Amino acid sequence: MSRKSHMTRRKFLQYSAITGTGLIAVACGAQPTSPPSTPTPVLPPQATGAATAAATAAATKAATSPPAPGANLIGTLEGPTVLTDPAKIPSSFKEAPALAQLVKDGKLPAVKDRLPSEPMVVQPLKEVGKYGGTWRRGFTGPADAENVNRILSADKPLFWDFAGNKIMPSLARDWKVSDDGKTTTLFLRKGVKWSDGKPFTADDWVFWYEDIYLNKDITPTPHPDMTINGKPGVLKKVDDFTVAFEFPEANYLFEDLLAGSTFIGGGQSTRQSTGNAGGGYAPAQYLKQFHAKYAGAEQADKQAKDAKFDSWVTYFKNRIDYGLNPDLPTLGAWHTTQARNTSTFVLERNPYYWVVDSDGNQLPYMDKLQLTLAENLEVLNLRAIGGEYDWQERHTDMQKLPVFIENQQKGNYTVRLDPALNGSDATLHVSQTYSADAEIAKWLRTKEFRQALSMGINRDQLNETFWLGTGKPGNCLPDPSTPFSPGAEWNDKYAKYDANAANALLDKIGLNKKDGDGFRQRTDGKGKLSLDLITVGGQFVPFTKHAEMIREQWRKIGIDANVKELERSLAFQRSKNNENQIMFWANDGSEFLFLFPRHALPVDPAECHMGQAIADWYASGGSQGMEPKDADLRKALDLFRSASGKKRDERVKIAQDIWKLIAENLWTIGTVGRSPAFMGVRIVKNNMGNVPSRQLNAQHGRTPHASLVESVFFKS
Amino acid sequence: MLTYFARRLLLAVLTTFFISILSFAIIQLPPGDYIDTYIAQLSSSGSAISREEAEALRVQYGLDQPAPVQYLLWMNKIVRGDFGISLEWQRPVSEVIGERLWLTIIVSFAAVMFTWMVALPIGIFSAVKQYSFGDYLATFIGFIGIAIPNFMLGLILMYVGFKYFNMNVGGLFSAEYQSAPWSAAKIGDLMAHLPLPTLVLGFAGMAQLIRIMRANLLDELRKPYVVTARAKGLSEMQVILKYPVRAALNPFASTVGYLLPYVVSGSIIVSLVLGLPTVGPVLLKALIAQDMFLAGTIILLLGLLTVIGTLVSDVLLMWIEPRIRFQIR
Amino acid sequence: MKNKINSVNLLILSFYIMTTATEIAATTSAPEQKVAVATQWQLMWWRFRKHRLGVISAILIILYYLAVVFAEFLSYGEPTESEAQRSLIAPQPIHWLDNGTLSPHVYALVGKRDPATFKRVYQPDPERKIPVRVFAKGYEYKFLGVFPTDVHLLGLEGAPPEEGLYLLGTDQQGRDLWSRLMFGTRTSLTIGLIGVSFSLFLGVLLGGISGLYGGWLDTLIQRLIEILRSIPTIPLWMGLAAAVPNDWSVLQVYFAITIIISLIGWTELARVVRGRFLALREEDFVLAAELAGASQLRIIFRHMVPSFLSHIIAATTLALPAMIISETALSFLGLGLRPPAISWGVLLQDAQNVQSLAISPWLLAAAVPVVIIILAFNFLGDGLRDAADPYGI
Repeated sequence: MSRKSHMTRRKFLQYSAITGTGLIAVACGAQPTSPPSTPTPVLPPQATGAATAAATAAATKAATSPPAPGANLIGTLEGPTVLTDPAKIPSSFKEAPALAQLVKDGKLPAVKDRLPSEPMVVQPLKEVGKYGGTWRRGFTGPADAENVNRILSADKPLFWDFAGNKIMPSLARDWKVSDDGKTTTLFLRKGVKWSDGKPFTADDWVFWYEDIYLNKDITPTPHPDMTINGKPGVLKKVDDFTVAFEFPEANYLFEDLLAGSTFIGGGQSTRQSTGNAGGGYAPAQYLKQFHAKYAGAEQADKQAKDAKFDSWVTYFKNRIDYGLNPDLPTLGAWHTTQARNTSTFVLERNPYYWVVDSDGNQLPYMDKLQLTLAENLEVLNLRAIGGEYDWQERHTDMQKLPVFIENQQKGNYTVRLDPALNGSDATLHVSQTYSADAEIAKWLRTKEFRQALSMGINRDQLNETFWLGTGKPGNCLPDPSTPFSPGAEWNDKYAKYDANAANALLDKIGLNKKDGDGFRQRTDGKGKLSLDLITVGGQFVPFTKHAEMIREQWRKIGIDANVKELERSLAFQRSKNNENQIMFWANDGSEFLFLFPRHALPVDPAECHMGQAIADWYASGGSQGMEPKDADLRKALDLFRSASGKKRDERVKIAQDIWKLIAENLWTIGTVGRSPAFMGVRIVKNNMGNVPSRQLNAQHGRTPHASLVESVFFKS
Repeated sequence: MLTYFARRLLLAVLTTFFISILSFAIIQLPPGDYIDTYIAQLSSSGSAISREEAEALRVQYGLDQPAPVQYLLWMNKIVRGDFGISLEWQRPVSEVIGERLWLTIIVSFAAVMFTWMVALPIGIFSAVKQYSFGDYLATFIGFIGIAIPNFMLGLILMYVGFKYFNMNVGGLFSAEYQSAPWSAAKIGDLMAHLPLPTLVLGFAGMAQLIRIMRANLLDELRKPYVVTARAKGLSEMQVILKYPVRAALNPFASTVGYLLPYVVSGSIIVSLVLGLPTVGPVLLKALIAQDMFLAGTIILLLGLLTVIGTLVSDVLLMWIEPRIRFQIR
Repeated sequence: MKNKINSVNLLILSFYIMTTATEIAATTSAPEQKVAVATQWQLMWWRFRKHRLGVISAILIILYYLAVVFAEFLSYGEPTESEAQRSLIAPQPIHWLDNGTLSPHVYALVGKRDPATFKRVYQPDPERKIPVRVFAKGYEYKFLGVFPTDVHLLGLEGAPPEEGLYLLGTDQQGRDLWSRLMFGTRTSLTIGLIGVSFSLFLGVLLGGISGLYGGWLDTLIQRLIEILRSIPTIPLWMGLAAAVPNDWSVLQVYFAITIIISLIGWTELARVVRGRFLALREEDFVLAAELAGASQLRIIFRHMVPSFLSHIIAATTLALPAMIISETALSFLGLGLRPPAISWGVLLQDAQNVQSLAISPWLLAAAVPVVIIILAFNFLGDGLRDAADPYGI
């Protein structure tokens, strides 16, 4: 039996359970006074029956207690579905009127010839839509590539269902993991075409692998996604429409990587924009002209110089960016017509888009995607308030929620909140490798000290002030509804405000001398113990203000702190140099521990705020960096390393064990999370159709891609 | 005269050279470089690059070189008319600035016009009616502009415009004209968006102008020829407007030269708040991101404009005011 | 020796002028004579008095600096203490009468978040009156930095800890705006003063050298000024502010910012000083002093400086508001003082967003004292300059 079919059956059980809870939630929603406070998107996979019962209990509880703030703005998690049953593939296809005209004029092949023999079929959320309209959004400049990357995420090989639990086909129609876990095979849709009409085949994968990934000028070092325990994997062409990834050791995690927002599975749009060179495939026929290997080093460099670039590599990285190069063939629903580095970023429908709705209409419904540059976030938000955007979930500011609500009618839009699943939006990453001040370093590495700091934080205060009560106070653990959660009881561990317990703990570990102002003294006699809290301004949530409030709260446990707001790149650089003591950053993405662990564990040298040197040590297999002395941290890292080679059920168990260790040790101290603060304040015009009342807001869900926005349309 | 001019020109070139060094130094002052910014940017989109990749990028962009070498490389390009590539915008610097420069000039020109049209009458009035209630009131209104922090005035007016007058929020164009080719309708759209930035920017420079006008005119009014004019029976209006105001305006002619750079650099914050597609916000972002070629070019350009402006006004002043010519020995 | 006596005389004289100013103004029996014998300062004072806005401004400025000295006494809530349940309270009205007798009080407030609008709403409870008292007890502090006390100008009497006085309302973190304004005033006005002193020092020194010695020194300094003025200020600020070591404490950053602002602000003063020196060098009385064999230092400080001191004072006064505005602009750019420091810039930055305009407009009140003081400094400066002008009417 193949690994995959087993998966599917289990996933199916899980899926039906979700549908069940969804129904309960809908039933509750019918009573006006008791909307479901937290619809349950994901259930622990082992216990479907019990979980349904638990959800019922939760629903009854919701009926009796007053609704949580924002409950009326949080709907039921829903979204369109990808139909995988071959019988559901429509037999005839329709297209947008403008394209039909082009076909009539002989400028474009017929829709049937543009679509693959096995197109991806989407069952729209509510109804089959109609064509037309321009989707207006706001963006903040060339660095805001992610704004559109996410929307074009259908060009990923695999993706998730709208709830973010089950792997679904996307660009690949199917996939298979070998029993030994060493080989993962992707089956591509036959007849998919690039936006310029050229066929998309396995050769495009091989080109990426051989000439982009293995080219030392473009990719100097192997990427962890393409290795297992430091040993490289290879990409092989099986036939024109089949590629296989082969690893020397079992790599059961790899299918998750292909579905996640990762280097290998992130898709062309995301992973080849802003200077990245991942994504697994690339338009070989077009790109060869810029590549030194094919064009010749001299010619390639000359072209670059003519275009005012320094070398062929920088020019090549510019040419593979869909947002900067309108000539680049792409696979997304919309194709760039005006580049991202101008005042309006415009994309128009891709006539070769390989996705249709259940009636055979080629998607997307909307003709155009137009993003206007907002020079600052206040302008962007004010435009959203004024109803100048049709659908905007990015850069919308939680703090402005009352203003959004107040102007709903005037702007003819509806505000919806999509709470995320990660534990904490403002997370204190406590460095385990800071060394400049030996005394401080010692305390940062002391478990009891971190526990006391955590208990000294009054999270309800933070939640009410900065999340307007919409978040959930707790530590950094993910939402109990996610499969990796060790259980709801773990979310509150050391996360309830208890100044007495914190004081007792601090006294116990030897920080019992205080000065006249009540601040605890250092044990080396150099005055009061004072911690530096590093924050970065201008992010989705106001870290500096959080830190300011926590500083006040810590006075009650005799801990002094200095809040220092730094420019983002400087703060990151200091993290890299192990110079930060405690850094504020989110832990979004950590809800899917194995796809995005960097905010939960020190394992990713590319970004690590809780101990760069340990991440270096981990990633290099011990040849660089600093070996962690902390036995629990060592254990967590060993567990994490073992997970890739384990099958799903075991991986889930490992993740739960890791989270238990994190909850006990608090290398990251969570405050308030599972909130709509990050991309969860969604402003959608009332004339849009197929709009989910709540959408998946998670790193791997590529918000808003989980709602398959190509199936959203203008009703009028 | 000619030697003076030559000397002045030489000094201007020297000044420009120092300005270029200083502009470069300003960009180099903050710790880190564009690659650090880039890494942080990538991180917020969930991706990342390795240390080796970062180093490779530094080599590609020449950021691994010591600062003096980087400066020389930059100058070498500039002298040949190549401003380099903006690291963040991934476009030639000239293109990034080019499309915004014209709008900057339009906005600045409108603001200067507005300032003059309001400030000159106020200045004249308060000089003629010194210490009257009207003087105080007019000066008060004129001075409000420098007293209210203009970032706040900008936001307030923008919000009021949106809330009560259903105006578009920020910018100089409605979304549909943003990238449309120039047409009568687009110009009309621009005209509809201009009053707000004009008001906010114009207000800020008003006090200075009122003050100069008032002082100059007060000086003139004391001169004997004014008494003569009165004695000859000219009406008060004629007495004031015929010569003193004209004479008081003279010094203004000399400031025309560097009005533009002055307004442009003064408008950076306002442009940011109002979301104007001018060079201001680009400069700010470039400075924060350490996008050195872009930031360096803009600073250098503004500095150069000031130098040229000063030069032009010095020469103009010499032309207008013969007395100054005497002082040149 | 003689010098000293003279300066003492001058001091006595100016004191005399100050105290008897109104008298002099009233007794204008022989104005001609008076003008003839009046000192320069006397003349200046007479002229300054005519500038009514200037006089009012001077009084206002004195009041502001009193707030700088007595910030703790004038505030009544701890400026950094946050409380979610007091977030965004609108300015609280004081009720003066209680059953017909004068007894100022406020109502207790019950707050919650409206689940539909998401705004914080506060319901005053007229049954629970809390008296407002002068010289009430509040948080502990050291008066003038020396004497420990807990007496504040205003306060609530016998209020439970969760209740407070909110004359200007509270910010998002539930901190009293009035109290924060007092501390913000202290920070921003001292920044202005220190910055201006530093500018003045640089300006007088470099401008003086430039004007006095001329030659290549003059050219060098003039070029320096021209270059500094050619660079747009904001990049200059950003470059310098970013160069401030990031492990400095709030206090150190505060001084660094002050110095940065003044490093750019001195050029204008230097220009004024230089111009004056150039003009005075040619004056007959300087020549006379030179012929009389006076030393150069004596000429500068005994003859030249006093004759343009008034101009410098006026120029300094006009430079102060620019410093204050610069501080707020730096905070706006995220380069200046940052929380938890409290300054006008920080307070304005808190109000610089859409939600403040829409749902908590009282936060904009932080701009009012800024506007007033800047106007005041400008009018005072104008008045002083008019008064310092020897040819003034």
